[in-house]
Amino acid sequence: MVIRVAAVGDIHMGPDSQGLLRPAFETLPDCADLLLLAGDLTRHGTPEEARVVAREVRGLPVPVVAVLGNHDHHDERPETVTSILREAGVRVLEGEGTVVECAGGKVGIAGTKGFGGGFVGRSAGEFGEPVMKEFVRTTRRSADSLHAALKGLDEEGCAARVALTHFSPVADTLAGEPPEIHPFLGSYLLAEAIDTAGADLAVHGHAHMGAEHGMTAGGVRVRNVAQPVIRRAFNVYRLGAA
Amino acid sequence: MSDPVGHQGPAASGPASAGGSPEAPENAEYRVAHLQERLAAEELGELGVRAEFRAGAVAVTGTVPSARCRETVLRLAREELAGLTVHTDVVVAETDRPDHAEELW
Repeated sequence: MVIRVAAVGDIHMGPDSQGLLRPAFETLPDCADLLLLAGDLTRHGTPEEARVVAREVRGLPVPVVAVLGNHDHHDERPETVTSILREAGVRVLEGEGTVVECAGGKVGIAGTKGFGGGFVGRSAGEFGEPVMKEFVRTTRRSADSLHAALKGLDEEGCAARVALTHFSPVADTLAGEPPEIHPFLGSYLLAEAIDTAGADLAVHGHAHMGAEHGMTAGGVRVRNVAQPVIRRAFNVYRLGAA
Repeated sequence: MSDPVGHQGPAASGPASAGGSPEAPENAEYRVAHLQERLAAEELGELGVRAEFRAGAVAVTGTVPSARCRETVLRLAREELAGLTVHTDVVVAETDRPDHAEELW
């Protein structure tokens, strides 16, 4: 049995982009069982921009599952962005999981925005000034919630599990970005959560100049689906279900 | 695509400082930084456009979500980098559906 996962991130919608993605999204039932949105759905996280996204995906014939990105937090109203998207039928995840019933079996998606800190040997530590400790703790809390959500999906008997984040769990998919900014693009804590809880695929965005393909140390495939990277309305990954 | 948005050489904005970069005229590095601040802070909220010195000119590169965003990036580059030679390679994100899936098993 096969589960077909469509995904895109970093669509950065504003009033001038209404309708740009809808024609491609309407073809989703031909090639995918669900659509994942990997954050940065808006430019500034305003309700107006969130309503553009909501109209773009409302009523699609496949389930839509999303996490928010840093842009969606800029206006400091992520709860409002979330509620506007949920009202349009989008399952918005932050530290939680959801199950989608597909023809190929149950697929579980665990989602969190994630945060930065960097990668093994070149990462920020939970030490020193309060703001520095809080920076790393924010990532750790996000990673812990991702781990718990993936574990929960395992107990629900999902045929496949996907980790959905905005920030990257690995440096592989940041290739093309200046190495100096890698600590602002992701954290190994997310990959550790994925590897220790188990997943069949990890999907993220955020790194516009990165690369699509990567893998965690534990062998989980990672895909950076930022729209500037995949250069399409979405990409489709076919998972062989157990 | 390359759109020169200014044709004056570095000398047009004053001689390079003795201790400055051989590529960048005086204070040009800060003007590039200010451009990136404006791209992020003003109507675009744009963090995905890169601006850096290449061969005595400023290269502005990246992918933006709409044609209007691209026009705004080019306008801000013209305003902030007036007098410098600027080459832009800013493209609009593609919105076609994929023609194949990736098999992962």
